[in-house]
Amino acid sequence: MNSKKIMLVPLDPVHDVGLKMIRRGLDEAGHETVLLPPDLPVEEIVQEIYNSDANTVLVSRTLGYGVAEILARLVDLLDAMGIRHRVKLGIGGMAIRPELAAELGFDAGFGPGTTVEEAVAFVEGREYKGASFRAGKTKHDITQGHSYAYRHDGIKEKLELIADMVLSWAEGKTSPGVKRAAIRDELWDVQRWRNYEQMTDFLQEYPAHCGELAQNFYKKGIFHPKTRRFTREEAAGLEEYVRRTREEMRVPKLQHSRTKPLVFNQYGTGCPFMDIAHIKVSEAWGVDGVVHFDPSWGARTEGLLDGFLTHQEDGTVITPANLNRIKLALEPSTLWQVRAHRGLNTPETVVLAGQIGADLTKINICYGSLGGGTDPARMTVDAVWAMRYAAKYGLPFDVVTNEELCGVPAYKAFAGMLITTAVGVRLGARPILQPLFCYSPEVMVGLQMQDNYIEFNAAKVMALGQIIDAPIWPGAPVGFLTQSEDRVQSSASTAFHASLAALLGVDGVTIASSDEAYSGGPISVPSKIDTLRAVGEGFRFFGKTSLAPTKDMEIWRDQIVTGIEEVLTKVAEKGDFVQALYDGVLGSREDGAYPGRNGKDTVFPL
Amino acid sequence: MPGILDLIMDAVDIETFVVCRSEEDGRKLVVQLIKDWGFTDVDIVFCQFQGPGARVRGRAYVHRSGDVYGWLKPRDKEA
Repeated sequence: MNSKKIMLVPLDPVHDVGLKMIRRGLDEAGHETVLLPPDLPVEEIVQEIYNSDANTVLVSRTLGYGVAEILARLVDLLDAMGIRHRVKLGIGGMAIRPELAAELGFDAGFGPGTTVEEAVAFVEGREYKGASFRAGKTKHDITQGHSYAYRHDGIKEKLELIADMVLSWAEGKTSPGVKRAAIRDELWDVQRWRNYEQMTDFLQEYPAHCGELAQNFYKKGIFHPKTRRFTREEAAGLEEYVRRTREEMRVPKLQHSRTKPLVFNQYGTGCPFMDIAHIKVSEAWGVDGVVHFDPSWGARTEGLLDGFLTHQEDGTVITPANLNRIKLALEPSTLWQVRAHRGLNTPETVVLAGQIGADLTKINICYGSLGGGTDPARMTVDAVWAMRYAAKYGLPFDVVTNEELCGVPAYKAFAGMLITTAVGVRLGARPILQPLFCYSPEVMVGLQMQDNYIEFNAAKVMALGQIIDAPIWPGAPVGFLTQSEDRVQSSASTAFHASLAALLGVDGVTIASSDEAYSGGPISVPSKIDTLRAVGEGFRFFGKTSLAPTKDMEIWRDQIVTGIEEVLTKVAEKGDFVQALYDGVLGSREDGAYPGRNGKDTVFPL
Repeated sequence: MPGILDLIMDAVDIETFVVCRSEEDGRKLVVQLIKDWGFTDVDIVFCQFQGPGARVRGRAYVHRSGDVYGWLKPRDKEA
């Protein structure tokens, strides 16, 4: 590449910082630069250009007042001196737009948000493709760097005992969900399905293990009342939309100088088309991963439906076709989580997610049993199999602790999360701890967050870090019960919680949209942009700053660790994990947790 | 070729400050305003009344989940 000679011309009285930054970039790229003093008269500037051998002139003008007249005069004088053809002429500034620059006779115009790389590309005559955006974004393994080694001997001993207890209890037991998962795993093949081959064996076996809703679908072609199939025209329109969007797609990085936490948001508008639209927008605004949110009735239904279906309420139906469309629309860097955690289709959802190509799933025995509505025995046998499949398909899974929102104290929810984690590790899977960053009933009553939202949330992460070297992904979403319908408040709260996650060095974070607290209608796509922008600003603001532990953090951290060990001791003493769930050891009726009833009496000996 | 409203992905929000006497008054005025513009699927996302009036965000859904989306219709190259 030839070295260029560039004259940098600040037209403002004092503002030349932009040009100084560009000068640094040009110097680093090996070009020769001359920076004129600010606020020279246009005639003097033209004379300087005339006297120099510059082949590029970059002018900056931040003030809007009189900009058109001054710039037009500059170009006219260059013409009059016979040197306009000799130099490539660029203009940048807050009031500059490419159209204005072209109108005034400049070769390029750079408005707000222009990067140094963009200006260097102009000087070098290269097309600017936003290389730094794409190069900075690759798919990350959120579990990377964690050994799952225990750091607390007492808790390790109890967790290993309880993991044995869970596995031996589940041994020799099955359920309709486990059977469907095995059928999906053995008789349904994603490549054959993608080639439109008939799945005769699968379809002969599968419906017999489904509930009424799915049986009606497979045997009689009856849909769930709130679903419909897409038309061919709609599907073609979607493909064209995704293709067009991809051409323009740039995927920025939100974390500024950090590499983590990875930022996830949830989608689940009910319609896979609208989901894809939300995902593409989220990707364009920097999201690292997206989480599939299925309808609440899906968790109570024995069996998954099929077909390309839209649903007119919250949550997008899990079908092979819906998941496949969503998968095909994702950018290569986007992590994709399909939640399996809380219902009667848990193991099969993991199998399907694995086959379609998801990156992550979600499984938790205790939340599924105590807050998710599934019978503890059923949830346990299904979750054990789900974790086996998660290991088989290489899907790390987060272990959510949403029972905290019911009123279960953090230490009890964490004890349950650690039991699922211990079982998962034993089965060769890669669990991810998911503490809530939330204004929970526990802290509303206990006043741990009376002053701030930082210390108790930090104590949770510190406690888990003292117990095991496992990935931590607060969610879901962070700031639960702190957000209001006010877009500014909601975005700010999300950004502060995500920034706290960054300061604590966790691996991932799930964020809400600014519509989180609005219940009158679907989440709008600008509300997703609100929080992605806010979180990006939070990360920019704090950079790599660290958070010093406070006395309260340490006190609450120790209380949580002690509480976890006490709960695990009670479970171990009971000698029966499933009975411990029914009996409220991991969250009681007084706490607000109720053992679920969906799938009751559906666990059978093999 | 789709119209401009067809290209709205889901909803149009209007955020403003209305000089009014109560939160209820502010809500009613903004709902009426959006309906006067021809929108039918209208709601108030947020309203906060303080001092001289209300800070209000009203919303009109153009496309809800499961609708046939205008932004998926074929577009002219110039559009």
